[in-house]
Amino acid sequence: MPRRKDIKKVLIIGSGPIVIGQACEFDYSGSQACKALREEGYRTVLVNSNPATIMTDPGMADVTYIEPLNIEVLTKIIAKEKPDAILPTLGGQTGLNLAFFLMKEGVLKKYGVESIGSSVGAIACAEDRDLFKKAMQEIGIDIPKSGIATTVKEGMKIGLDIGFPLILRPAYCLGGSGGAIAYNKEELEVFLAKGIEASPVHQILVEQSVLGWKEIEFEVMRDCADNVIMVTSMENVDPMGVHTGDSIVVAPAQTLTPEEYANFVNLCRKIIRKIGISGGGANIQFGQNPDNGKIVIIEVNPRLSRSSALASKATGIPIARIATKLAIGLTLPEVMNQVTGKTTSFFEPTVDYCVFKICRFTFEKFPYAERVLNTSMKAVGEAMSIGRNFKEAMQKGIRSIEIKRYGFGADGKDKISDEMLKNADSALIKQIKDRVSVPNDERLFYIRYALKAGLSLDEIYALSHIDRWFLDNMKQLVEQEEEIKHYKNKKIEDEPNIPQELLAQAKADGFSDVQLAFLLNAKEEKVRKLHKKSNSKPVYKLVDTCAGEFNARQPYFYSTQETKDEARPSKNKKVIILGGGPNRIGQGIEFDYCCCHAAYALKEEGVDSIMVNCNPETVSTDYDTSDRLYFEPLTFEDIMNIIETEKPIGVIVQFGGQTPINLAVSLREAGVNILGTSSESIDIAEDRKRFKQMIDKLGLLQPKSGTVFTFEEAQKVANDIGYPVLVRPSYVLGGRAMEIVYDAELLERFIKEASEVSGEHPILIDKFLEDAIEIDVDLIGDGETFVIGGIMEHIEQAGVHSGDAAMSLPTYTLSPDILEKIRKATYSLARELNIIGLMNVQYAVKDAKVYILEVNPRASRTVPLVSKVIGVPLAKLATKVMLGKKLKDLGFTEELIPQHVAVKESVFPFNRFPGVDVMLGPEMKSTGEVMGIDADFSSAYIKSQIAAGQKIPKKGNVFISVHDRDKRDVISIAKKLKDLGFNLFASSGTASVLEKNNIPAKVLPKITEGRPNILDLMKDGKIQMVINTPSGRIPRQDEVKIRSQVILYNIPYTTTIFGAQATVNGIEMFMKKDLSVKSLQEYHKVKGKKIK
Amino acid sequence: MKAILVLEDGKSFNANSDLNSECFGEVILNTAVVGYQEMITDPANAGKILVLTYPLIGNYGTAPKFNESLKVWVSGLVVKETSRIYSNFQAKSGLSDFLKEKNAFAIRGLDTRTLAVHLREKGPLWGIISTKTLDVKKLVEKINQIKKQPEQSLLPEISVPKQKILGKGEKLAVLDIGVTNGLLKQLETLGYSLNIFPYNASARQILSVNPKGIVISSGPENDPGLKQVALNIKPLIGKLPMIGIATGCQVLASALGVGLIRLKLGHRGVNYPLARTGSFKGEITVQNHGCVMDYDALCKVKGLKVTAYNLNDHTPEEIESKSLKLIGVQYNPVSAGFDQVNPILVKFKKLLGDKCAKA
Repeated sequence: MPRRKDIKKVLIIGSGPIVIGQACEFDYSGSQACKALREEGYRTVLVNSNPATIMTDPGMADVTYIEPLNIEVLTKIIAKEKPDAILPTLGGQTGLNLAFFLMKEGVLKKYGVESIGSSVGAIACAEDRDLFKKAMQEIGIDIPKSGIATTVKEGMKIGLDIGFPLILRPAYCLGGSGGAIAYNKEELEVFLAKGIEASPVHQILVEQSVLGWKEIEFEVMRDCADNVIMVTSMENVDPMGVHTGDSIVVAPAQTLTPEEYANFVNLCRKIIRKIGISGGGANIQFGQNPDNGKIVIIEVNPRLSRSSALASKATGIPIARIATKLAIGLTLPEVMNQVTGKTTSFFEPTVDYCVFKICRFTFEKFPYAERVLNTSMKAVGEAMSIGRNFKEAMQKGIRSIEIKRYGFGADGKDKISDEMLKNADSALIKQIKDRVSVPNDERLFYIRYALKAGLSLDEIYALSHIDRWFLDNMKQLVEQEEEIKHYKNKKIEDEPNIPQELLAQAKADGFSDVQLAFLLNAKEEKVRKLHKKSNSKPVYKLVDTCAGEFNARQPYFYSTQETKDEARPSKNKKVIILGGGPNRIGQGIEFDYCCCHAAYALKEEGVDSIMVNCNPETVSTDYDTSDRLYFEPLTFEDIMNIIETEKPIGVIVQFGGQTPINLAVSLREAGVNILGTSSESIDIAEDRKRFKQMIDKLGLLQPKSGTVFTFEEAQKVANDIGYPVLVRPSYVLGGRAMEIVYDAELLERFIKEASEVSGEHPILIDKFLEDAIEIDVDLIGDGETFVIGGIMEHIEQAGVHSGDAAMSLPTYTLSPDILEKIRKATYSLARELNIIGLMNVQYAVKDAKVYILEVNPRASRTVPLVSKVIGVPLAKLATKVMLGKKLKDLGFTEELIPQHVAVKESVFPFNRFPGVDVMLGPEMKSTGEVMGIDADFSSAYIKSQIAAGQKIPKKGNVFISVHDRDKRDVISIAKKLKDLGFNLFASSGTASVLEKNNIPAKVLPKITEGRPNILDLMKDGKIQMVINTPSGRIPRQDEVKIRSQVILYNIPYTTTIFGAQATVNGIEMFMKKDLSVKSLQEYHKVKGKKIK
Repeated sequence: MKAILVLEDGKSFNANSDLNSECFGEVILNTAVVGYQEMITDPANAGKILVLTYPLIGNYGTAPKFNESLKVWVSGLVVKETSRIYSNFQAKSGLSDFLKEKNAFAIRGLDTRTLAVHLREKGPLWGIISTKTLDVKKLVEKINQIKKQPEQSLLPEISVPKQKILGKGEKLAVLDIGVTNGLLKQLETLGYSLNIFPYNASARQILSVNPKGIVISSGPENDPGLKQVALNIKPLIGKLPMIGIATGCQVLASALGVGLIRLKLGHRGVNYPLARTGSFKGEITVQNHGCVMDYDALCKVKGLKVTAYNLNDHTPEEIESKSLKLIGVQYNPVSAGFDQVNPILVKFKKLLGDKCAKA
C-alpha cells in the first residue's frame, strides 16, 4: 500500500541520556528513522535531551530540539510545531512512556496528533500488566502465575496455589532488593514477613519461578496488510533469572528443534496480532522449561529495543528503518532489502554464522555494590562478535569487551592457575561452585575453572542451568588449550612449535595470538609470524541476510578461518576508523558520534571509509554509515589483520576514545600510518615525565606531581608536594582508580589499587588543588592554524571528574584575564604537540593562576556538545584536516563564542546499585549526559537538571546539611530558598549557622538519635529537595544513607555547594517564567559564515 | 578420516568423515537453520548431496518422531561442524549415531559458505564425495561417467509397495511419490482417513476406493518415473478435487501440458516470501525445489490461475482452478507447530466441500 499522504510532519522522540538499559541503540534506531522518513518526503521534528547523539545533528531532522524530555516540554513543542503524527517507538521506554502520557493527558487529541508505529492501544496492552495478562489468556498463552499480597496470610494462599519454587518481590524496592526464592512453606512464610516489611508500600509480588528456564527471544515485524516476519531468534546463554540486557546471548537460537521453533513462531504471530501492532516491530521474550518444553511469555516490547538493534546487526536487517516505513503505511513487500538489493523486506533473514553478544559491566566503579546479576539490569555496554562456530564467536566476544582478556581464559590473566585447579581443595571447589551457580560478571571464567577442576557437564549444568550445548563448547576449548600446552617452549625466546593442523584448529576456534603465546610460552609476534606463514590466516566473510543465496551489495564483514576471502578490497584511497568498542563509564556515545562524523567527512572527501567496531548498539556499525564495516574486536591482532587486507592510506585513532589511543604506539611500531597528530605527540601527552618536560619548556603551570611505581616512592613524592594529593594510574579511562588522598595511610591503599589497574605503566601523583575551578577546552588544529572550539567551565569545584561535572559553555564566572591565559596556554600546547585533528585540555584555576591538569590529543567527550552549541561539526573538520586540508580552506579560523548558554549535566546509574553513595569524586561514575540550552545560564542550568531527571520543586521542604567549609556559602543559598517560599530542615550543625543569620530552619535529629528523622520524612514524601555536601573523604554512614535514599525516592539532590547555588538560582528563574523551547536550527540561523 | 567433495567443474573441498564411503548426486543447498533430520529423511531429497549453509548442526539431536520417512534419502550430507553432544529433552540420539545407524554418509569441516557461493554463481552442479580416493581428477572423471549412464527412477524404492490405509473419517487418496510424515499428520488432523497409493497406481485403482479427493505428495524432482505418474493421473483431473504438493504440483502441471524451467539456484529454505496476486498480504513459506512451472504455459491452461508467486524472483508458486477443481502448491505447506494445519490444506478441505472448524 502506498505511503500515507494524510501525514506530512512527524515528531520523533529520542530516549534522552545514556543510562543503564537505554544506550546508543536508540540513537541508532532514531537516526535510521529520521533518514527513512526524509527519504519518503516527510518533514521531521526531533526532540532529545542528549547532545551526544547523531540523531540530534542538525541535518538529521528538519527541526531539532535539544530539550528536556517531559510532558510539559513536549506539549510546548507539539503546540509550536503542530505535527500530524508522533513516532514513539524509537526512543526506548522513555519515548513510549511519554507518548502514552501525552495521550492520557489529552495532548495528542487536542492537537490532532496520531501515534504511529505502535498505537496507544498497543502500547497500553503491552505495558499494562493486567491488560497484557488478559490478552495473553485470550489467545491461550501462559504467563508466569503471580499474585500481589499485603499480608502473610494472603501471600501464603497465593503461593500455595501457584506451587514451589516461588519468587518473592517486595514492591517498590530498588534493584530487586528484599527479593527471595522460597522452595517450601516454611521459607515462604519467613520471606513474606520480611518482604512485606521491606516494601515501602507493604506489598509483595508472589510469582511462579521460572529461574533456570531457557530464555528465548524473537524479533517480529508486522505491516498493515498483516504480513509478519521473524527477523531472528535469540537464545540467552544465561537462563531465566538474569536480565536479558545482562545475559550472554546468541543468535540464532542453538538448541531448539524445528517443531519448537515453529511453535514459537506461531505464538509470536498470535501475540503481535493480539497486541495490535500493525506497522512496526516488537521484541517478544519467552521462558521455556528445558525439561518438558513448556512455554511462558515473559514480556513484549512494542517498540525498537536493545534486542532489535542487536538483531539488526546480527542479521544485516535494518529493523528501525523498516519499522519506520511500515509506520507510514508501507507494507513489507514494498520496502527493499538494501543489503541484497534484490529481495524485499518481506523475507526472513537466515544466517550462516553464530552471533555472540556479551555485556560490559563496571562493578569496579561501585566497590560497595553486590557483584551479582539478577533481573535488574547492570551492564553499561555490550559487544557483539561473529564466528563460524560458537567457540570462535565466544572468544572474539570476550576480547571485544575490553576487560583485558584475550579469550576464554588461557591468556595469562586467570585468577586461579592451572596448578591450583589440578590440586583444588574443597574450599576452592566451593568458591568455584558458588561463582558458577550465582550469576555474576565473571561466571564464564569460573565455568572454565570448574571444567579444569574436573567438574562434569552435568554438575555445572545443575549449578548454572546453562544449556549443556554451550557448556560442551566451552569444554572443547579447555581440551584444546591442554593439547596446545603440550607444545610449550622451555624458553620464551624459542620459536613456537605447534603442529600446523592444531594451530589451524585453534585459530578456527577463536584462540588469539595472546592466548597462543601464553600457552606456548612464546612471543606474541612470533606466533603471529607463524600463522601468517602457514595457512591459518583469517579471511573475511559477509553478513548478507541470506546465507549466501544472493549476492550482497553491502560490504559488512567478520573474520573467520576459512578458505576463501570475500573482502575483495577496492583499489580506492581509503582510511580505517577505529571505533570505541563497548560502551562503558568514560567511553560511550560521544566517541561513536565522532567516528560517524569521520566516516561522513571521508565520504565528502571521496575517500573510502572503513569502520572497525564491535558495539552493536551504535550508529557507527550501521550498514550505511561507512563504505565498509568490519565487525571485529579492537585488539592489535584483529586490527592488523584488517589493515593487511585493506591496505589503507592511514588509520584514525583520535575518535574512538582511549581504546584506539592505547593501540596507537604498537600500530605505529608495526609500520601503520596514524593519521593526524603523531603517535609521538600522543606519547608525550600520555607519558607524565615527557609531559612535564614540555610544560616546563612552554613555561606553563602544572600542579606539582611525581611519577611512581611503589608505595615508598609515592610516600616520598606526597611528602614533597604536600597533601592532599591526587593518585591515578596512567593510560586509563574515566578516572579509573583515581582518588584524592589526604594522608599516608590511605595513600598505601590507593597505590595498591592503582598499580593493579595501571599494570606496567607508572602511577601518577599530583598535588590536589582544593576549591579550584576546572575548565575544559576543545581545540582543532591542522599543524598551522589552531582554533579553540569551546571553553567550558565546570560548575562543581575541582576534584569531580570532568566526565561527571556539570559544565557551562561559554564560561560564566571567569574574568577576561583568566580566559586569555587559558587561550594562550591552549594554543602553545597545540603548537608544541603539532596537533592535527582534535585536542582537549583540562585546567584548574586557583588564585588567578591557571594550572594544566591534563592534555588529551584526541576527541573528547565534549566534542558533540561543543559542535552543536557553536554550530560547527568539529569531528568532521578534524577528519578533513587529517587528510591534509587546511582550516583556512574549510572556513574555520576563529573561535566562536555562542550568544546562548548551554549546560551539560551528567546522569548516573546509582539506582542500579542499591546502597552506593552518590557522592562525586575523581573517578567517573556517570553513564550519560544531557544538555540544557537557553538564553541565560540559570535557565539553561535548570533545563539541564530537569533533563537529567531531577524533579525540580517550586515549593515544599528542603533539607540542608553541609560540610563545615561550605557553611559560609550555604547561607545565601538558604536565604534565597526561604525567600522563594521553601521551608527549611537542617542538621543541627547547619541549622545553628543558619539560625545565627536569622534563617529559621527546623532541626532534624541524627538518624540514630531520634525519630522522625530525615529518612522518615523522605519516605513520607515530605522532602522535595536535599542539599548535602560530604563531611569528609570518608563519609559518615548516616550521610551515605541519606544520599542513597534520595535515589530510592527520586528526590532532587545536590552534593556540591556550587551545584546547590546554580540549582537555587535556576529554581528562582523557573518560578518567574516557564521553560521555553527553541530548536537548534533557530539558534544557528543568525550565523553568517559557512563552514565547509 | 579424510574426505573430499569434488564438483563436476573440478572445484574441490577437503573435509572429514566417520564413514569410509563414496557417494554421488546433484549438490543442493538448504539455508534453514534447523530441520536437518527432516531434510535428510525427506524422500524429496533422495539421491542429492545436501549442503547445509548453517554451520552448527546436530545441536538438538534426533528423535524418531521427527523422521519424515524411515530412511535417510540424501546420498550425502555436507556440514561445517557437527555437535559432539546434543541437548534437547526430546532427543533420543545424537546426529552422528543416527547417521551411523542409518548407514548414511556425511562429511564435515569444509568451508560450506564458499561452496554455497560457488553454487550460486555456477548454477546446478553434480558432485561426488569420497573417502576412498582424494584424487580430484579421477573423481571428476567418475562424475562424468556416472552422468552418462541413464538415470534410474527412485520412485519404486520411495513409494509404498501397496495400498495402505491410515486413520478414520472420510476417504482421501494420497498418491505417494515420496510423501512425508509431516503431510500425512496434517491430513489426519483435518479429519480424513488416508488411502495411500503406490506411485504407479492407475486412475481406475484410485477411483475404485471412491475417495473424496486426491492428494499428490511431494517427492524427488525430475525423477524419470514421474512422466508415467502424470499420465496416470491425467484422467482424474476435473473429476475429483485434487491438490498437488511441491513435486506433486509439478506432476499436475505436466499432466496439464505445462513444462518445467530449471532455476539457476533452487529455492531451498524456510524463508521464501510468497505474494498473492492482487493482495498486499503474502506468506513466508518453506520451499525445496530446483525447478518451477513455466508461467507462460500455465497462463494458457483454460480456467487455471496462478494465485501466488515467489516475491524474490516472481516465479509461480501456487495455482488454482475452480473448473478443474485443483490446487497446486510448489512450496511445502508445512504445519506451524504441534496440531496446526497449513492454510492451503484448509483451503483444499473447503474445495472438498467440508467445513473447517480449525481455519
